[in-house]
Amino acid sequence: MKEGKEFLVGVVIVAGITVALVGTLWLKGSNWGRPTVRVEVLVQDVAQLSEGNPVKFRGVSIGRVSSIAVEPSGLAVRIVLELDPEVILPASAAVVLGPESLFGSWQVDIVQPEFYPGFPFMDVPAGEVERGVRVLGGYALPELSRLTASAEQISANLAELSARFEVAFSQETADHLARAITNLSDVSEQIRDLVAQQAEIAGSVTARADSALTQIEAASRVARRSFERIEGILTDAQMDSIVINVRLASGNIERIAGGLANSSDDLTRTLARADTAFARIDRITAGIEAGEGSLGRLFADSTLAVRAEGALGQLDLLLQDLRENPRRYIRLSVF
Amino acid sequence: MTEFVTQSIRSVGGAAVGAVSTVGRAGYLAAGAVRALRKTDIWTPHLIPQMARIGVESVPIALFIAAFTGVVLALQSSYTFTDSVPVYFVGALVGKTMVLELGPVLTGLALSGRVGANIAAELGTMRVTEQVDALETLAYDPVAYLVVPRVLAGAAMFPVVVILADALGIAAGWVTSLALLDLSSEEFTKGLRLFFESFDVLFGAIKAFSFGITVTSVGCFFGFHATGGAEGVGRAATRAVVVSSMILLVLDAFWAAVLLQ
Repeated sequence: MKEGKEFLVGVVIVAGITVALVGTLWLKGSNWGRPTVRVEVLVQDVAQLSEGNPVKFRGVSIGRVSSIAVEPSGLAVRIVLELDPEVILPASAAVVLGPESLFGSWQVDIVQPEFYPGFPFMDVPAGEVERGVRVLGGYALPELSRLTASAEQISANLAELSARFEVAFSQETADHLARAITNLSDVSEQIRDLVAQQAEIAGSVTARADSALTQIEAASRVARRSFERIEGILTDAQMDSIVINVRLASGNIERIAGGLANSSDDLTRTLARADTAFARIDRITAGIEAGEGSLGRLFADSTLAVRAEGALGQLDLLLQDLRENPRRYIRLSVF
Repeated sequence: MTEFVTQSIRSVGGAAVGAVSTVGRAGYLAAGAVRALRKTDIWTPHLIPQMARIGVESVPIALFIAAFTGVVLALQSSYTFTDSVPVYFVGALVGKTMVLELGPVLTGLALSGRVGANIAAELGTMRVTEQVDALETLAYDPVAYLVVPRVLAGAAMFPVVVILADALGIAAGWVTSLALLDLSSEEFTKGLRLFFESFDVLFGAIKAFSFGITVTSVGCFFGFHATGGAEGVGRAATRAVVVSSMILLVLDAFWAAVLLQ
């Protein structure tokens, strides 16, 4: 009975200890005695990398981080990796420390540095190679907190930009834009109407042009006939006689013009003489009215006056007739 | 009125004296237990039987509780994690929660009912039937004979039971993730390993160790000081369970504050 209880207690205790040990080793990713190759990495900062994190090469897990320690100089951190010895790393290998996911777990990624020219991998001192352990240079990607800080800065800039845009694109601007669009619409409508009118006018002009062409065509036919006639006249020598007659007529006209010029001079002289005569008549009549001379006495006498009045009346008639019909009294000869 | 006030003050004073007396008796028992550790010839023969009773016989109930706790943890974590959280975090949550908190605490609470009440009832019965007095008459140290093997058995077996419960709880969560959730074994183990630290197991074991000492000590104390016949034994068992559960939760917070800061 007692031995049975001891056995039971022993079994439970051994089971508990075994579960604790095996479970811990398994969860920590122990290699369970499998051979590993040791590779060391020098980096300036390990960020959130911790012991036990996976080591990957081309996406495949080939080992784990064994230890992390700051170098005695304080200028670097040495990471010890335990890797699968069957995996052959490239000659120019380097290490990138980065997050495995967005939730905190990090990993070591063995890469070829020529594919990552922008990464400042840490240089491995020459003395490290002589120790017989392969040492790689590494670079830790910025932590999520740094990235979020950068993202926060970017978002702040974007917020400021959007605020400025909001200020620039106010309601008034929107109204102006809407109005401009409406105006554009109106303008396009007017342009469309104008184009339609121009098309209509062009059609009308075209019709008129057709009509004009028809008329021109008719006129050209008439002109052609006229030219044909003229050509006929010219060819019949009638034109020569016409030209001769015109030349004769112009000579006659020239002579008539010369005669007219002479007659005009004569008329001027005749009128001067008439004026002189009229002046003398005025003096005479004045003497007569004053009773001077025989005529004056005549006028003083009523009989004579009556007779003179009759004579003057006849004289007036004579003068009037002279003014109206000077040719009756004045002979003008052109030729 | 004056009598009421006087009576109230007298009650407060009585409670204070009772509390101090209880603390004093507990300290006296604890000191006696430490002194009794030297009497190995008395308590050693009873250690294995007590380990079997307290530890081995508690394994089934502890595993039962842990198994269903693991199932519920997996389902609830899967329900809680939306598209933005990777599914392998189910493994992380199940493992971390079982090892750090639910394994030790639920096992401790369950065993405080089973073990603490059992010890209080057993010792209380011995007390009210004057068997303890008989031991003293026979020159047996009752503390070395009754208390020390139980407390040592509790201290030794609680961590073992808790570790087994942790393992079964995680396994249950794993099986649940495979059977009921769209989770592969690789994803679950990836999450399980993601935030695992060796210290987590040690932390759970330390808590379980303290819980074992607390549950058995409180049971021994209330059983050892039981009075009033069968009713007093029942009252001692009830108090043992209640007080040990409360101390257990206080210790849970204490260890978290001390070891996880």
